[in-house]
Amino acid sequence: MDKFIGLDKLARFFAIIKQNGGITGSLFKLFRQDDLKVGTLVGEDKYGNKYYENKMYFYGRSRWVEYADHYFLDYDGSQVPAEWFGWLHYKTDYLPHQDPGRPKYNWMSDHKENMSGTSRQYVPYSTTPPKIHSWVPPKAK
Amino acid sequence: MNWGAITDRAATAMFWAELVRGHAVSLGHLFKEPATINYPFEKGPLSPRFRGEHALRRYPSGEERCIACKLCEAICPAQAITIEAEERADGSRRTTRYDIDMTKCIYCGFCQEACPVDAIVEGPNFEFSTETHEELLYNKEKLLNNGDKWESEIASNIYADHLYR
Repeated sequence: MDKFIGLDKLARFFAIIKQNGGITGSLFKLFRQDDLKVGTLVGEDKYGNKYYENKMYFYGRSRWVEYADHYFLDYDGSQVPAEWFGWLHYKTDYLPHQDPGRPKYNWMSDHKENMSGTSRQYVPYSTTPPKIHSWVPPKAK
Repeated sequence: MNWGAITDRAATAMFWAELVRGHAVSLGHLFKEPATINYPFEKGPLSPRFRGEHALRRYPSGEERCIACKLCEAICPAQAITIEAEERADGSRRTTRYDIDMTKCIYCGFCQEACPVDAIVEGPNFEFSTETHEELLYNKEKLLNNGDKWESEIASNIYADHLYR
């Protein structure tokens, strides 16, 4: 009966408002993420991004990330670290700490977002010494 | 045409039945779940075999894998790879230059198939768009950094596909 009149939608609406931190919190999230969803928090990476899942939404919308608060509006797709990338892209159902094929070596580096357009962008350079040298005129005697 | 059909048609026109029906469809869709995904918060599905940004991998010890055999350079149909090799101080054969012009690359994946030591791989990352052309002229340092950054995901992808390799 609830489902027939659509009361379950109303209940979900209040659940969403409640999970996203009340009315002000929901308005802020709506402003920042253009969408309000309800789901279970499955994990958080070391950069502060939070990962959620709710199978009620269709495949493609059922997993999502909320970027850390300090990014504010400077969030970017490349801020998702490699550990969580596969899960967020539905490549694997394993969470990073459950995946058996996910090694940890001490030479693995921290994740860095795409720095293009900033002063820390990658600038190409040659990794070999030049083979052609300019002619240096001999000193006059 | 009989009188019944004529009155039906007149009533449909007078009560704007088509307009009302059309707006009802729009109104219904307002309350439906959207069919789009909200990138970058939600992302589309990817395969473990997805061929994205290149990376040079290392052995678990931290030693770089590439031995400068130049098979990837030879097979590259777009000739995007440039390699120069030299003997390192400890006598092993390594590259001194490993450049990939990512604007020439067609992401065919032949380089990772040709590689005998799994050194060059096309990682899962596709979010490496840049604002200038020169940022896409990757050198060896950049490719090794990519490998260090994405090793977790690259190793996981290779593991996921190990039965088919």
